[in-house]
Amino acid sequence: MSGYLDVSGLHVYYGGIHALHGIDISVNRGEIVSVVGVNGAGKSTLMWSIAGALPVARGSVTLDGVRLPPRPHEIVALGISLVPERRRLFTALSVEENLIMGAIRRSDKDMAERDRERCFTLYPVLKERLRQRAGTLSGGEQQMLAIARALMSRPSLLMLDEPSLGLAPIVTESLFDTICQIRDEGMTVLLVEQNAFQALEISDRGYVMQSGEIVASGTSRELLENRLIRKAYLGE
Amino acid sequence: MLLQTLVTGLSIGGIYSLMAVGYSLIFSILSFSNFAHGAVIMLGAYMGMVLAAKAHLGLGLVVIGSVVGAGILSVCNERAAYAVLRRRRAPSLYLMISAMGCSMFLENMVYATIGARFYSFPEFFKRQVIQVGGSSLSLLDLFAFVISMGAIAALHIFITRTRTGISIRAGVNDMTMCSLMGVNTDRLISIVFFLAGAFAGVAGVFLGIKYLVYPTMGWVTNKAYIAAVIGGLGSLPGAMIGGIILGVLETLVSTYVSSIMRDVFSFTALVVLLICLPNGLLGTDTEEKV
Ligand SMILES: Nc1ncnc2c1ncn2[C@@H]1O[C@H](COP(=O)(O)OP(=O)(O)OP(=O)(O)O)[C@@H](O)[C@H]1O
Ligand SMILES: [Mg+2]
Repeated sequence: MSGYLDVSGLHVYYGGIHALHGIDISVNRGEIVSVVGVNGAGKSTLMWSIAGALPVARGSVTLDGVRLPPRPHEIVALGISLVPERRRLFTALSVEENLIMGAIRRSDKDMAERDRERCFTLYPVLKERLRQRAGTLSGGEQQMLAIARALMSRPSLLMLDEPSLGLAPIVTESLFDTICQIRDEGMTVLLVEQNAFQALEISDRGYVMQSGEIVASGTSRELLENRLIRKAYLGE
Repeated sequence: MLLQTLVTGLSIGGIYSLMAVGYSLIFSILSFSNFAHGAVIMLGAYMGMVLAAKAHLGLGLVVIGSVVGAGILSVCNERAAYAVLRRRRAPSLYLMISAMGCSMFLENMVYATIGARFYSFPEFFKRQVIQVGGSSLSLLDLFAFVISMGAIAALHIFITRTRTGISIRAGVNDMTMCSLMGVNTDRLISIVFFLAGAFAGVAGVFLGIKYLVYPTMGWVTNKAYIAAVIGGLGSLPGAMIGGIILGVLETLVSTYVSSIMRDVFSFTALVVLLICLPNGLLGTDTEEKV
């Protein structure tokens, strides 16, 4: 194990509930890696604990060989950014302020401005709605803003938790295109998806989670071709 | 007479606003009633009084000294009494009880060290008046009102225009996501407590000058809680408007009806308002917080 992101033997609890039972995953630089699994498998728990919002009881998470610090703001500083499930925008703030929050710890104004422009090229609609309150955007627009906000921190590893949730199929299609585009620009992507087939199709590798454990892993093709996995976890 | 009463009412309303804004700020970021806010106001008043009476500073420096002192005190209060509970994700009731404890602790500290004596500020321009159309308006009242409104306007600019201010509003909206953006939320909360304390310091000095300085003077924050609730808990414009309305109405009641009726009136007004508008004047939309 010596990927870019390495999670090994990760245990996480919610009070007395043992949610993750020793998770091992590894993501190489420039890859798209998917984590799929049924509801309640612990995918979101995994994402939140990598981001530092949930305490790690045992095990370790390292980025480029360096063990992650305990607090979320220190982890963002190392280049990990999370687009959480249900987006969690600052709904009372304007679109512009949400983007400012995305870049809040940056001091390189010019580069931040360039990243902002890049987000507008990706999602022109955001530019038209700068002063609108984020809570009043449509679901699709909110997802765009959530991704743009995460990109504003200029992450090296982007984690997306069910980004297609609540989106129309055609919007989901373009979302997956965007994810590929982001990867092509040099970012590493860790993706959690309900649309397991679509997610694996754009991924290099995948992990299947169940009840807080990794039950299968491999290249996306291997997973997609495995009949048992198709049956049990991909809802076939 | 009416104009004079109105100016007095505005000055008291301004002071209520300052207290209510500080209290509201903390409520909106940590969702608990900081009952120690009154004690910070009280200590702010003592600090101001010492600076004025012992160091013979002018009003401007007295206010600045008290702002810094009460701000630091408020931050220490958070670090010592709330931070531990916060990190353990304790329910907000625990924070509230801890706040009551702090309030008693600080008051009794003052009793034990300074004593129960009532102190008065040296005369600034307590007696000075300006004549406007036959009424004599107290310069101190005008000054208190202008300073209060100026401070609240400055806070508004701060929280809407600066990166730290936007972070505060983001934290009010979703603290976890705020930390995931790279904000050190412990530091952010300290900043909020400093601001609340600074406002308490200004309020303390003006209360001390208008009335007297004594260990339980912080109880007047009951009025700030009423003002904040009238305006809509967690809303800054609401806290300001609530404070001014309460101050003006109270002064009108005590001038034209009876001063004994004043507090009865305040609480009755609160109950009636809450029956009609359960969220206060500006608190209809919870997303409008701060
Ligand atoms: N705050 C919480 N307190 C207690 N248990 C929780 C909490 N959040 C999640 N859990 C439990 O932890 C387990 C994993 O939840 P998690 O949200 O990580 O699953 P998931 O794989 O993301 O599911 P979904 O596909 O529905 O999003 C579930 O059994 C869930 O009930
Ligand atoms: Mg989930």
